[in-house]
Amino acid sequence: MSDEPLIATATTLNTIRPELLTMTFGQMAALSPWIWALGGALSMMLAAVLFKTWKWVVPALMIMATAGAAWSSTMLMDLGDQFLFNRMMLVDRFTLVFTVLFAISALVTTLSSMKYLDREGLQHPEYYILMLFSMIGMMNMVSALDLVVIFVALELMSISVYVLVGFRRADRRSNEAAVKYFVLGGAASAVFLYGSALLYGATGSINIQEILAAVEAGRAGGSLLFVLGAALVIFGFLFKVASFPFHMWMPDVYEGAPAPITGFMTTGIKAASFATFVRVMAGLGYGDGLAEAVQKHLHDILWISAALTMVIGNVIALTQVNLKRMLAYSSIAHTGYLLVGILVGPASDSGYGPIYLYLLAYTVMNLGAFAVLSALAKRGDSGINLHDMAGLSKRQPLMAFGMAVFLFSMAGIPPTAGFAAKYLLFYSAVQAGEIWITVIAVLCSAISVYYYLRVLVYMYMREPAEAGGSAGRSWMASAAVLAMIVLTLQIGVLPSRVIETAKSISKTAVPQIGQAGARAAR
Amino acid sequence: MSLPPVEPWVVLAFSAAIFFVGLFGLLVRRNLLIILMSIELMLNAVNLTYVTFSHQLSSMAGQMSVFFIITVAAAESAVGLGLVIALYRTLKTVDTDEITLLKD
Repeated sequence: MSDEPLIATATTLNTIRPELLTMTFGQMAALSPWIWALGGALSMMLAAVLFKTWKWVVPALMIMATAGAAWSSTMLMDLGDQFLFNRMMLVDRFTLVFTVLFAISALVTTLSSMKYLDREGLQHPEYYILMLFSMIGMMNMVSALDLVVIFVALELMSISVYVLVGFRRADRRSNEAAVKYFVLGGAASAVFLYGSALLYGATGSINIQEILAAVEAGRAGGSLLFVLGAALVIFGFLFKVASFPFHMWMPDVYEGAPAPITGFMTTGIKAASFATFVRVMAGLGYGDGLAEAVQKHLHDILWISAALTMVIGNVIALTQVNLKRMLAYSSIAHTGYLLVGILVGPASDSGYGPIYLYLLAYTVMNLGAFAVLSALAKRGDSGINLHDMAGLSKRQPLMAFGMAVFLFSMAGIPPTAGFAAKYLLFYSAVQAGEIWITVIAVLCSAISVYYYLRVLVYMYMREPAEAGGSAGRSWMASAAVLAMIVLTLQIGVLPSRVIETAKSISKTAVPQIGQAGARAAR
Repeated sequence: MSLPPVEPWVVLAFSAAIFFVGLFGLLVRRNLLIILMSIELMLNAVNLTYVTFSHQLSSMAGQMSVFFIITVAAAESAVGLGLVIALYRTLKTVDTDEITLLKD
C-alpha cells in the first residue's frame, strides 16, 4: 500500500485505487485466524438449529474454532506487518500473540463450562456462540488501527458478554450483575466515543497512525481539544480495565456472573482492553512525540490511578469470604500492576513487553483458578466461599493442588508464572526510573500473600466441615486445570521463550506511517 | 428569506451540553429505562459532534463513523431492554435503589 492520504475527500473519490479492491496473499493469510473464528461462529449457529438433540456438536465446534484460531495465529508469527481494509486493521505479532491468548481463554472457559452448565440446567448453544463472538470482538479490537473500528469491536465484545453475565436468567444476582455491567459499560463506551470525536476534531483523522503523525508533526498535541479527547479516551479504557476510580462495578459483576464467564471476563476482556489501551496510548504519542506538559499530565493520571488501584484492590480483598469476589478484588489489584507496565512502557528497554508477559501469566493462572471454582460450585453458584474450601485437599486433590499453584502464582512466588511476570514488570519499572510506584507495587504484592495463602490454609490444614456434598467431577474441567498447572509452572521455570516473544512485540504497538511501508516491503 | 448559517462552535457546544445532560441523567436518575435513554442521549451527542467536525474538516470519516455508531447503539439498546425485562421478571422493579443484592 502507498503512503497517500487515507481519507477519501471529494477530489480523491474520483480516482480508483486498485489496492483497495484486491488483497495480496499476505493479507489473505493474515485473516486466517478470523476465518477459523468466524467460520466456527457461523457453523455453530447452523448446528444449533440443525442438531437440536446432539448437545455436544456446538461445544465441539467451539473447541475446534478456538484451537484453529490459536494454531493459525502461531503459524503466522513471521508473516510481518499486514495492513488490512484500508489500514483500518493491522495484523502484526502484537495482534497475533494476543489472539492466541484470547483463544486460550475461550477454549479453557468452554472446557470448564460443560459440566457447570449441565448442573445449572443451562446447556444452551447460545452460550458458546456468544462467547465466540465476544472472542472475535477481542481479535478485532486488538488489531484495530481506527478509533471507530475499536468502538465497534469493543461493543461486539461487550454486548455478547452482557448477555453471558445475565445467562442465569432465573437468578436475581445474575440479572442484577448484567444490568449493572450494561449500564456502566454503555456509559464508558459513550465516554470513549466522545473522546474519539474530540480527537477527530483535533487531528482531522480517526486513524491511530494518522493521529500519531499529526501529534508528531506538532499539529495537535497541545490543543485543549486534543487533551480533552485523550483524557476521555483514557477514562473509557480505565473503566474497561476496572481501575480506580472506575473499579466499583467489577466485584458486583464478577460475583453475579456465572463462574466460567467470570474467568473469561477477567482474562479475555481484560487482556483485550489492555492490548488496545497500549495501542491507543502509543497512538496518542505517549512517551514519544507529545508536548512535555501533556505528557506529564497523562503520566500523572496513570500514576495516581495505578497506585490507588493496587492499594484498594489488595486491601479490600483482605476481607472477602466469597472466593469469586476475592478474585475480583485481586483482579483489580492486578490491573494496577498492569497499569504500571503501561506507565513505564515507553521509558524502559523492554517497552510494553512486560505487559504481554504479565497478561499471559495472569490469563493462565486466573483461568485455572476459575476452572477450579466452576468445578466446585454447586447449583446456583453457591458453595465457593472460603469455609467451603476446608479439607478440599482430601476430597479433590487435583483441584486443591491446582488452586494452590494458581494462588502461589498470583502472589508472585517462584517458580510460577506470576513470579516471572512480576519480576520483569518491576525490573522494567525500576529501569524507567519509577522507584516510588515500584515500592508501592512490591508492598501491595506482599499484602496480597495474606489473602491468597489463607485459602491454602483452609484447603490443606482444615478438616472438611461436612462429608460428601461435593459436586460431580468432569474430565474436561480436570484436563483444563491440569493444562493450566503445566503452563503456569512452565512459564515460571523456563520463561526465556515467552520473554523473547514479549520483547519482540514490544516496540511495534503503532508503526509510524513512514516506516510502515518499509516494514511491509521487507 | 434565508437563515444565517450556524457557527460550528454553537453546534459543538450544544452537543457537549447534550452529552453532559445524558451523563448527569445516568448518574442521578433512578429508573433503568431513563438511564437507557440517557445513554442514547450521550451517543447522539457524539454523533452530532462527529458530523460537525466532519463538515468543518471536509472529511468523510466522521460521517461514516456516525453510521456505525447508530447501528451499534440500536443493537446495544435492544440487548439493554432485554436485560431490563429479565431483571423485571425476577425482581419486579426497575428502580436502581432496590437493586442491592450484590454489595460488600
